[in-house]
Amino acid sequence: MTMRSLPVVSRRDFFAKCGMGMGGLMLSGLQSDSALAAADQLATRTPHFPGKAKHVIHLFMNGGPSHLDTFDPKPILDKFAGKPLPYKNLGTERPTGGVLPSPFRFNRYGQSGIEVSELFPQVSQCIDDISVVRSMYADVPNHEPSLMLMNCGDGRLIRPSVGSWVTYGLGSANQNLPAFVSLCPGGYPIQESQNWQAGFLPGVYQATHIDTQHVTIDRLIENIENKRTAPSDQRRQLDLLFELNERHAAHRQHDSQLEAQINSFELAYRMQMEATDAFDVTRESQHIRDMYGPGVQGRQMLIARRLVERGVRFVQIWHGHGQPWDNHDDIAILHRKLAGECDQAIGALLADLKQRGLLDETLVLWGGEFGRTPVVELPKEGANAGKMNGRDHNHHGFTVWMAGGGIRGGYVHGSTDEFGFKVEEKPMHVHDLHATMLHCLGFDHERLTYRYAGRDFRLTDVHGQVVRELLV
Amino acid sequence: MFRVNARILFVLSLALFTRLWANGEESSDGIELFETRIRPVLVESCYECHSVEADEIEGELTLDNRAAVLRGGRSGAVIVPSDPAGSRLLRALQYDDPELQMPPGGKLPEEVIADFRRWIELGAPDPREGSAASLETISSRAASHWAFKPPVRPDVTESDADKWATNAIDKLILAELNSAGLSPAPQATRGEFIRRLYFDLVGLPPSWEEVQAFEEDKSQEADRKLVDKLLESPQFGERWARHWLDVARFADTKGYVFKEDRIFPHAYKYRDWVVGAFNDNMPIDKFLMYQIAADSMIQGDEDRHHLAAQGFVTLGRRFINNPHDIVADRIDVVFRGMMGMTVACARCHDHKFDPITDEDYYALYGMFESSEEVQDEDLPLRLADKAAPQNVGVFIRGNAQNRSKPVPRGFPKFFTVSAQTVKAGSGRLELARAIVSPENPLTARVFVNRVWGHLFGEQLVRTPSDFGLRSEAPRQQAVLDLLAVDFVESGWSLKWLVRELVTSSTYRQSSQATPELLVADPENLLWGRMNRRRRDFEALRDGLLAVSGRLDKRIGGESERIDTEEGGTRRTLYAHIDRQNLPGVFRSFDFASPDAHSPERPHTLVPQQALFLLNNPMIQVVARDLVALLATEGSDDRVAELYRRVFAREPSAKELEQAREFLKRGSPNPLPKDEWSFGYGQISFSNERATVKIEPLNYFVENRWQAQIEYPEKGFGHLSVTPEGGHPGNRTDCCSIRRWTAPEAGKMVITGELARPSENGDGIEASIVSSRQGVIASWIVEQGAQLTEVELPVVESGETIDFVVGCRGNAGWDSFQWKVSLALESSTGWQKWSSQQDFRGPRPEPLDLWMQLAQVLLVSNEFLFID
Repeated sequence: MTMRSLPVVSRRDFFAKCGMGMGGLMLSGLQSDSALAAADQLATRTPHFPGKAKHVIHLFMNGGPSHLDTFDPKPILDKFAGKPLPYKNLGTERPTGGVLPSPFRFNRYGQSGIEVSELFPQVSQCIDDISVVRSMYADVPNHEPSLMLMNCGDGRLIRPSVGSWVTYGLGSANQNLPAFVSLCPGGYPIQESQNWQAGFLPGVYQATHIDTQHVTIDRLIENIENKRTAPSDQRRQLDLLFELNERHAAHRQHDSQLEAQINSFELAYRMQMEATDAFDVTRESQHIRDMYGPGVQGRQMLIARRLVERGVRFVQIWHGHGQPWDNHDDIAILHRKLAGECDQAIGALLADLKQRGLLDETLVLWGGEFGRTPVVELPKEGANAGKMNGRDHNHHGFTVWMAGGGIRGGYVHGSTDEFGFKVEEKPMHVHDLHATMLHCLGFDHERLTYRYAGRDFRLTDVHGQVVRELLV
Repeated sequence: MFRVNARILFVLSLALFTRLWANGEESSDGIELFETRIRPVLVESCYECHSVEADEIEGELTLDNRAAVLRGGRSGAVIVPSDPAGSRLLRALQYDDPELQMPPGGKLPEEVIADFRRWIELGAPDPREGSAASLETISSRAASHWAFKPPVRPDVTESDADKWATNAIDKLILAELNSAGLSPAPQATRGEFIRRLYFDLVGLPPSWEEVQAFEEDKSQEADRKLVDKLLESPQFGERWARHWLDVARFADTKGYVFKEDRIFPHAYKYRDWVVGAFNDNMPIDKFLMYQIAADSMIQGDEDRHHLAAQGFVTLGRRFINNPHDIVADRIDVVFRGMMGMTVACARCHDHKFDPITDEDYYALYGMFESSEEVQDEDLPLRLADKAAPQNVGVFIRGNAQNRSKPVPRGFPKFFTVSAQTVKAGSGRLELARAIVSPENPLTARVFVNRVWGHLFGEQLVRTPSDFGLRSEAPRQQAVLDLLAVDFVESGWSLKWLVRELVTSSTYRQSSQATPELLVADPENLLWGRMNRRRRDFEALRDGLLAVSGRLDKRIGGESERIDTEEGGTRRTLYAHIDRQNLPGVFRSFDFASPDAHSPERPHTLVPQQALFLLNNPMIQVVARDLVALLATEGSDDRVAELYRRVFAREPSAKELEQAREFLKRGSPNPLPKDEWSFGYGQISFSNERATVKIEPLNYFVENRWQAQIEYPEKGFGHLSVTPEGGHPGNRTDCCSIRRWTAPEAGKMVITGELARPSENGDGIEASIVSSRQGVIASWIVEQGAQLTEVELPVVESGETIDFVVGCRGNAGWDSFQWKVSLALESSTGWQKWSSQQDFRGPRPEPLDLWMQLAQVLLVSNEFLFID
């Protein structure tokens, strides 16, 4: 399926095409008309082949979690504590010194017996549903390009994000909620909304950012409530607005930006109702809420499940604003704190998706933009003066894991070298990860393309191989 | 390995053959050394990256033959024959310098390095003939890069003339269109033209009267007068200052700086300086220079206010006061903003794509290092030269601990034709001069390109802050060069440039494209029509304020917060910009991120924009004030007036009809009921049944519901309900009551804590009373806290639950806290309420139908878009 610039469909055509098949969506009179035009860009589409996954939840541990302290145990680090590596330290962002052992214990879990550190006791209960990829690598040791690579497939140029590609490819299963949502408590990660940009794809495929530090709906989504107009009156306003805009557009030959503007009001109107419900976790029973745990991580994981359940295509969950996992120092304290914040919620999310039968059709990805070095970061003026208890960025080798959506459970893919600095067996570049994710969703990554500025672009550019060992 | 060895064998046999006719001048010892000890190593360890056969040639260095070896790479010569110590190649092999180590996989054996040393000592004999292959290098590409050659004014021949063309721009545009077999769009109507001009030149909508007058007077004189009027209005500077503030990544705050005060003192004076400079039509070369080096340029006290210009450099993010990051941001804003060069990339290594070396970066770094910040009483932070300027060494790989020998302060080498040597002082004055030098091929082009972008919706060069090797020459480079040359010729006059552009026929085209043009040029690269544009954030908000009469037109001064309930009334230019916590409304509407220099704004369409326009209180007060302005009486007359105010035109009969239909119901639908209400009264018992008699508390003062405007009041005492609790009245029939009404039936759980902090007085009595079930529970609290938890297996829809607190005779010290949470499990799931979170003041009146109608017009595409 090569979808060049999206077909322009007039409302009349759209009615003719859909007949009453979309009856459920048809409201009455004109407003339904424009609702359907919006539905067109986000209408559910069939991928190249039947994919197992219908949704993606990307748990983004922004800042770069240490694979050596979480999912890639290297006991030899203890023996070399404080000593130099037997080979020259690989180039990373900052100067590094001798070996820094992991302060955390690893144990084997599940039938698969995969080793996970004590930081993730709840996640490790689900290890038999998880494929741990220990052989990831990226291009450079800096946050910005690595975030861009992980999210958009290119470290430098403006390219659409994975979520935008997926939404473009599959459309949305719920026209009343944004198809692609980015949850981030406290504000933005670095690179901000570029992480979920639509790039050259139509703007409708860009994620809607939600600051999950808030609790009440009117603070979660700004301006979601109208305090001075009854919903029935607002409907009348929108009907009139639609008529005015239609006449305005009729005097100007088809202009997609006018069209899109008209649609955005309808989407906003419907979001008011549906979002109020979807984001209100208090509507969950107490035992479910207890399962996810208190705090913002539990709340946002639960929101993610409610969104996926309602047909939202792609949910990205950021651990926090800025780059919380970027522990250049005090890694023993900070990694424990960060994992402590999210472990229960992630474990609950996996278990809850599974008990609802949603895990099979939801691809869950956990990871950061890179991992961290097995050697200690040396103190640097202005940054971490005096401290030698953290790790520098490491793009030479790191870990992500996936679960559900057609991914094999209880499997470890690839490895890093004996110290965990560099990938060794079955290296898997970020492009390969993207190709594999698209495969789970039913796409041949080489054929999901978009024509822009005279060229067919794709998420994986000219790279990427589907890693079949990871598939069920 | 086998493959490599085979290759070596092949090369060796070839080498032996070659030797037969080897150049007799070179000692046969040397040649033998080369063939047996050097060449195999080159093949095995170097050619992967340093051969014309390599997939990617690193460092622009090839080692395929003698000429190539002697030519060296991007960093210069690699071999100085007979001087091993002076040969970069040997240094790299020796692995002593952590930043210069080859081959990258690991150090070669010592005996191999000894062979190389000896080989170089022998004069690096090399029998491999031939010239060095010409490589595509950054310098070879830079030498022919379009943007690095000075702009030349294109010939605009008279034969291109056409009735359509008004000026030279038009002739060039028309020629390209014609050569593609296309013709320009028809001219815009006078109505479209005046709206477009107002939007572009002053960022405010024209009044109906102005549009009327312009539509009636069809003379060319009228066009000229209108352009002049707008260029001379002070709103011109306000509109255009904002464009420059995007470039300057302007904000009122420093970003994250721990506990230091985050506000930049007097930042607004930089913004006001920009407004003034544009209004005074300050030559742009001077405008740019002041922003870098005003301290070295001003003559006397009357020029002192120009020191504010340096806010351009100083008002960036403070990066927790890391000096290296601050300098990087400053170099970046100067070079991307003014010259369209991404120089800051060379902070850690030579630029990967452009002719900028790390030495160039640290030559600039030295200029900023030799400047110090000065905080005057009445100006934004500014710069002054330090007493002892100093050069800075390259931070190897960006590491401040590891520096090369100092690099003289100066301009990037590739562009030195436009630069003077720095002799004294920081060098910022020389930097400023080099940027605006007539020899500089970039600055005028970059500026002109930005201005074109603001007026036409897209720039000629679509990477407005990167004119480096990766930027393609624009399809209409002739137009860019024409404008760049004439702009400098005009004395760098912004007003000249804007006038030249807006009086062109190109600018005056309709935004309606013919279908054939849409197919032939979907991206409008040939400019055969105007781009239809959506109002940017400033023009949208300013326009809303203007048509509703809310706009405060004062020019300049301190910034104003706009993320308040009613959203402020000054032009958006004056909004307080907190770069760390930029209010959502800025981001939703594509405001330029103030974190770093912003080449151009994104154009997104997200539901948050529509939600703002539908629901934000600001739009409601705009609609309210707009309706309040209507001076006419009859319904149709009022609708017509509304159309004139919002769209500057009369409504059609159809539109009047639609409005009548919309208004005919007369009054708005009531707002959905709120579950909470606030009152006072008492519990009364009749037939063993308790009921609550409640009167509303009618006054809301200082976040507190009370019975009278005075507080405390003689009769009622401190009677009140507050977010956390409240205070009972002086009498037992003046209990403080918080009432909740069930929206539907279900099972209910109430939790909470009741506290009376004071040790004095006789305590309070609190009850939870249901309208259907009577008193559910009661507590007496004399001092301290009491949990108040009850379960109601059944509540019916409409049933009220009252939280009643009374005094026990003496109301002194009876201030209490009672935070309750309610959970209702109904057929639709769980719903929750919190007495504290849900607490609110008086409910606003619903917008009446006129205001609703006004709001619809204000958010319609006719208002949001400029044709």
